[in-house]
Amino acid sequence: MMAMKNLAVLVVVALGLVAFAGNAVAQDYSKGSNAKTFGLSGEQKATFSGKVVDIHCELSGDCPANCGGGNRTLGIVRASDNALVMVSKSAQFEFNGAADDLLPYCNKNVDVDGLLIGDDPGVKSKIYMVQLIRETGQTDWEMAELWTDAWKKRNPDSSGEGPWYRRDERVAKQLKKEGYLGLGLDVDKKWIAENQ
Amino acid sequence: MRCLRILVAGMAVFVWFGFQIAQLSAAPTAKIVEVKGEIIDTWCYLSGVMGGPDAVVGTAHHTCALWCAAGGIPVGVKAEDGTVYMVLKVKGEDPLAQSDTILELQSDSIVAKGEHYIRDGINYLVVAEVVSNAGITNKNHDDFGVVPGFAIPELN
Repeated sequence: MMAMKNLAVLVVVALGLVAFAGNAVAQDYSKGSNAKTFGLSGEQKATFSGKVVDIHCELSGDCPANCGGGNRTLGIVRASDNALVMVSKSAQFEFNGAADDLLPYCNKNVDVDGLLIGDDPGVKSKIYMVQLIRETGQTDWEMAELWTDAWKKRNPDSSGEGPWYRRDERVAKQLKKEGYLGLGLDVDKKWIAENQ
Repeated sequence: MRCLRILVAGMAVFVWFGFQIAQLSAAPTAKIVEVKGEIIDTWCYLSGVMGGPDAVVGTAHHTCALWCAAGGIPVGVKAEDGTVYMVLKVKGEDPLAQSDTILELQSDSIVAKGEHYIRDGINYLVVAEVVSNAGITNKNHDDFGVVPGFAIPELN
């Protein structure tokens, strides 16, 4: 009888450990994803659902209206496991973040498709590049590429030719002050002359 | 019958344990910390899109880091032990506010004091104060050139 009891305890513990490990191991969200791949570090296609949140609010309880109105980094609390997924990048490839694409869905449930990225030992979780987004329940996806249009609205006086990052006034101000290498204009001048 | 009781009790313990873990995950508490490290562009650093981690920091990547910060990509502090802290606020300013605060710190070696949160494997830092700033000390452009190569138009 004692042996039976010990066996039952062992079975319960083993089942518990298996179930816990199953939750702890990263889930595969690639099924059904149509995300474009780029061969990035630790890249995994991933489509999932969750709620768009202001990350600072989610962590600290400091919650301005409308998820900070575009001034804060946004994320998604994934429905399947309650994980806070940091959304770092939109689908555009001009050095663009994702806040403008997520903001219309502040505190709403969305479906997203994109890439989980990263395998750096200094960050023990992956960050997300959102490529497609829709409010949960809708059928049509939206491309996550609002950033450059939003930049034009924020910078109506940044006219001229070329991509936004060549015309952005804040970037231009820093480059004028500290140069491309950040060490001053004289260092830039010497290095460019040596490397042309 | 006794086995069934043990089974039910075991499951109850497991559910309680899982609930506690979930609570810890959902409601992190802040610790006040001082972090010494370099301000980095987290996307290029973590994605490898422009090369290895040593090439997408410092002077080599400074211009791109400015572009990414202005572009709304999260800025981080790479601490001396390799830990990357995602910056959620600097000196009271939200990170995507259209100000110069974060751009002026980009690529600098700093000591930052603030609230540290960790959730689901990611470290977050609300920088209350930049205790010291040594400027850009990671002078790696002679090793890697500029990354990306088109960062300096005069070289193209």
